Amino acid sequence: MTCDEFEAIGLDAERDASLTETQRAEAAAHVASCTRCSALRVSWEAARIELRSLAVATAGMNAPARVEMRLRQQFGTQYNTPRVRRTAVVAAWALAAAAVVVGAVSWVNWRNSQRANLTDKSNSPVANPGTAEQNAAPDSPTLMADNELSDFTFLPGVLPTDTDDATILEVRIQRGALGALGLPVNEDRAAEWIQVDLLVGNDGLPQAVRLPNEMRE
Amino acid sequence: MLLRRAGKGDEDAFALLYRRHQGALYRFALRMSGNAWAAEEIVQDVFMTLMRDPKKYDAARGTLGGFLYGVTRNRVLKHLERLPREVSLEEKTENGAAAGIVLQDASTPAVQAEKRERVELVWAAVLDLPAEFREAVVLCELEERSYEEAAQMIGCPIGTIRSRLHRGRALLMARLEMLRDAPRRAGLTRKAGAAK
Repeated sequence: MTCDEFEAIGLDAERDASLTETQRAEAAAHVASCTRCSALRVSWEAARIELRSLAVATAGMNAPARVEMRLRQQFGTQYNTPRVRRTAVVAAWALAAAAVVVGAVSWVNWRNSQRANLTDKSNSPVANPGTAEQNAAPDSPTLMADNELSDFTFLPGVLPTDTDDATILEVRIQRGALGALGLPVNEDRAAEWIQVDLLVGNDGLPQAVRLPNEMRE
Repeated sequence: MLLRRAGKGDEDAFALLYRRHQGALYRFALRMSGNAWAAEEIVQDVFMTLMRDPKKYDAARGTLGGFLYGVTRNRVLKHLERLPREVSLEEKTENGAAAGIVLQDASTPAVQAEKRERVELVWAAVLDLPAEFREAVVLCELEERSYEEAAQMIGCPIGTIRSRLHRGRALLMARLEMLRDAPRRAGLTRKAGAAK
């Protein structure tokens, strides 16, 4: 082995796994016989010790904790923001769907209650069989805002104190039906339709009647 | 496995992955650049790349560590190209050690200071090497990797590693001799000046 060859491959022959045993033996023989290469080896060993001290001094070093913090922050921005956005979109759609459902259910309920009210109202004047309400016109009665009771004629057996919670209904009936309420009826005009106000109690029974002005006069 | 979990948004998996690899990558970047800030930026950049596009890593082509080392190496070489010959061992850390050098022994402060100075000289000599020789020295001498491992990591034949090491060693020894002699010469010059 020449000095150049030793410098190239023999200086680190023990570590170089790609060298053959023959090459290693040649390197050992050369360094034993060559003072220059022997000095080179000594010099390299010294340098190597110093390199080892550098390796040891820097062995325990790690990236500062702030790097991990920054990376975590970036990770959160990258992965959590779209997730939050997705959640918000889903929540918004869910809320919108819930609002539509609630609206639809409310509307259906309102419709049903309206129908039930109409049915109740149209039924209530005829709740007392054999009274004038049986002859009421198909037009539905309407609630009156007028609370003045002085013009009402109480039906037989009704006391004025019983009318505290009564409701005033405006109904159209045939004159003949007034007879059933104990009022005098002109037989000739019995078939005429007139509009009267009925004072209906909580039990649904008429308690007083208010006749049109021309009849009262 | 960890990378897959991290790719699905598992932050803890990503943190675990980071902790597993950051030390080796940081040390490599630091030993190559001699600059703690640059090493920090490089490591951060490497993991940002992994975070943004985990699919860049192909398990069929090697280990994740190898992939990360490759990315780190590219970043380091780019950094060295941008700032050629940058030697920033003057950077002081909080405890006054240059570029984070920590000497773990119980010797006196004077001995520690002397050792630190010597380590800094060696590091300066390593940083003075051209990048490709420096890389071979860092991998084979400081990280004690075998020639095969170093060749695999750099992606070159073993012969290239051997050749780079040979030239790197020669330069390093010359540089170390020069650095060792410089204070001695400076001392002699000062003594001669005082005698006059």
